[in-house]
Amino acid sequence: MTGPTAAALLAQFAPLAACAAVLLGLRTRARAAQAVAITGMAVSFAASVWLVAAVAIPDRSLLAQTVFLPVDAAHALAFGVLLDPLSTVMALVVATITLAVMVYSTGYMHDDPGVARYFGFLALFGWAMQGLVLSANLLQTLVFWELVGLASFLLIGFWFDRPAPAAAARKAFLMTRVGDVGFLLGVLLLIRALGLATIPDVVAAAGVGGGLSPRFVTITAALLLMGAIGKSAQGPLFTWLPDAMEGPTPVSALLHSATMVAAGVYLVARLHPFFLAAPVVMHWLLIVALATALATATMAMVAGDIKRVLAYSTISQLGYMFMGLAAGSTAAGFFHLTTHAGFKALLFLSAGIFIHHAHTNEMREINARDPLAQRAGVIGLVAGSAALAGIVPFSGYFSKEAILASLGAGAGWPVVALAYLGAGLTAYYAFRMVFLTLVPAPAPRQPHGGHLVRPGAGERAMRVTVLVLAALTLVLGYLGPFFGARLSPGEAARGAFEIGGGAVAALALVGAGIGLAWYEFGRRGAARIGFAERVPALARFFGDNWYLDRLYRATVIRWATALSRAAHWNDERIVNGATDGLANGAVGGGRILSLVQNGYVQAYLAVVVTVIAVLAAVLARVGGVR
Amino acid sequence: MTAPGGYLTISVALFCIGLYGLVQRRSLIAMLIALELMLAAASLNVVALTALTAGAQHLAVTRQIGVGHGSSVGQVVALILIGVAAAEAAIALSLFVAIQRYASTINVEDLSELKG
Repeated sequence: MTGPTAAALLAQFAPLAACAAVLLGLRTRARAAQAVAITGMAVSFAASVWLVAAVAIPDRSLLAQTVFLPVDAAHALAFGVLLDPLSTVMALVVATITLAVMVYSTGYMHDDPGVARYFGFLALFGWAMQGLVLSANLLQTLVFWELVGLASFLLIGFWFDRPAPAAAARKAFLMTRVGDVGFLLGVLLLIRALGLATIPDVVAAAGVGGGLSPRFVTITAALLLMGAIGKSAQGPLFTWLPDAMEGPTPVSALLHSATMVAAGVYLVARLHPFFLAAPVVMHWLLIVALATALATATMAMVAGDIKRVLAYSTISQLGYMFMGLAAGSTAAGFFHLTTHAGFKALLFLSAGIFIHHAHTNEMREINARDPLAQRAGVIGLVAGSAALAGIVPFSGYFSKEAILASLGAGAGWPVVALAYLGAGLTAYYAFRMVFLTLVPAPAPRQPHGGHLVRPGAGERAMRVTVLVLAALTLVLGYLGPFFGARLSPGEAARGAFEIGGGAVAALALVGAGIGLAWYEFGRRGAARIGFAERVPALARFFGDNWYLDRLYRATVIRWATALSRAAHWNDERIVNGATDGLANGAVGGGRILSLVQNGYVQAYLAVVVTVIAVLAAVLARVGGVR
Repeated sequence: MTAPGGYLTISVALFCIGLYGLVQRRSLIAMLIALELMLAAASLNVVALTALTAGAQHLAVTRQIGVGHGSSVGQVVALILIGVAAAEAAIALSLFVAIQRYASTINVEDLSELKG
């Protein structure tokens, strides 16, 4: 076993060991559980750093796979690791964010009674996500994909004794399953065609002369994309993500913005040449992603819950990543994934600081509870929003520029125009959030009452995490050429500060968005009501997920419920009814027949004699037995 | 009516009286007495039939079963039946005593524990 392989295994199994230790042995010992989980994740982080240094920076590519349980000559089960710049950088992103969130959670979940369970689940997620990122074949990817879904379910429903998180967990699990059906079918088709579905083989087979027909590639790519769309909350399957905000805020930062939901993007980036061999699918992905990005941006414009704003912006940004990939640039999509992981985790964790102190998610209520006192939170929120909006020195600017540039190269002008419009909307809702949360409202403010949490011991962990991530938003943007050289070597390299017409237009739109937000929310005497919120019908439409949930309730959910009712009726009445009827018939028949057994011996005797007499008479008449 | 025919008539009458008593009477002892009447009817029937078939050597059935003139099979059977009746009476009466001890009655209408 070579060094990188060993490091990759270490990166996966350290969190698993921590998870097992915490969930099996330390359920009642919160501090030990925290220490074990963080140690496991720190080991994983160190291994990932080493992997990046050993694999990504020299731009190597390694595949180590063990094949066992061969079914026949071509088919077998295989597990292994695939190490290249894409997977190792993603592993580092996952490890970094997971570690940051764990450290942050020591403060945020400080007084929760289930904190050991929480850290166990976080470690479970760390294992599943590292396994997903480093897996060498698609079957293995699918296994970890589902484990990630399980961890997401457990963490959204962490406060399962309350109805809303329990319902949100179920919704997230079921909705992502819809997409996973397609993923499963796609993987099975590939295994049937290729035997093993090892990722480089799959990619190679889709290429020219690779042996797979274009029709097969298109169907398989569409099926695999279903899984990616479900996991990354795109298109029709995104409504689970805003509801998933019922989970603890660090969980939202980790799973539902930075890492897990990016798994779909990662899958498409991982198999990018395969997907590019199916241009029809990529075309539809572009349209779906664009529609999702714009639609969820409008939803974010009217949401009042800070976590919901961030959730919608996550979906919107995931849409941008998919657009970059669909336009043909692995580097742009993955670059945006990396920067987004950093600044979105930062935004959630900053929001978590405010939520922790104000005990509410509503931006207007947070505003009334002296948010400016949380200086780390203010810094984090402003820096994260600047990155989200795409302001020049922050990371989001560079990656969004890369995506817009790749769209300019690989998509038609309507798409590009709408993508620029989306960038403006992003700036608008990001700074609407900032102004609404931070700029003091003219309304009478609540005094800094005693009911607020006094800064405790865990606060420092939260502040430090947020500040580190805020510093990262200033750094990550310069990785563009690194990704460009390794992931899309064919593309023209672009300098970090290369200002073209596109960048100027984007910055102008961003400025317009921020200006509008300032006019409506930020300036002194502003009405603090957005233009979309002034039209009640529009506000309701945007605020209610474009009525998509209602549509699902009225159609799919209703049909599924009717079907399960019918199945239940069939089970109760037909299947159970048949056996029940048989049993009841036997019992009833027995009851009736038992009336004959009246217990009077003389009655029996009379019957016996009568029967014999009748038989004798009959026999005498027919002339005996013949 | 010839003499054996009269015996058979009496036998039938006895049997019917016994059957009537067995079905009609509610006391176990009365039923036992009626049963003894039926046994007596059967014994009489056997003896009468032996006598009846004395002059019927030409019948194949009488040759086959080895009875005929001077045969004492009927008497022997009747004697055995008397013995059986005595044994039966002894057993039945002891059962009646046991029932009386158990249920404090020998009225069959009250002895209906096997009612369904």
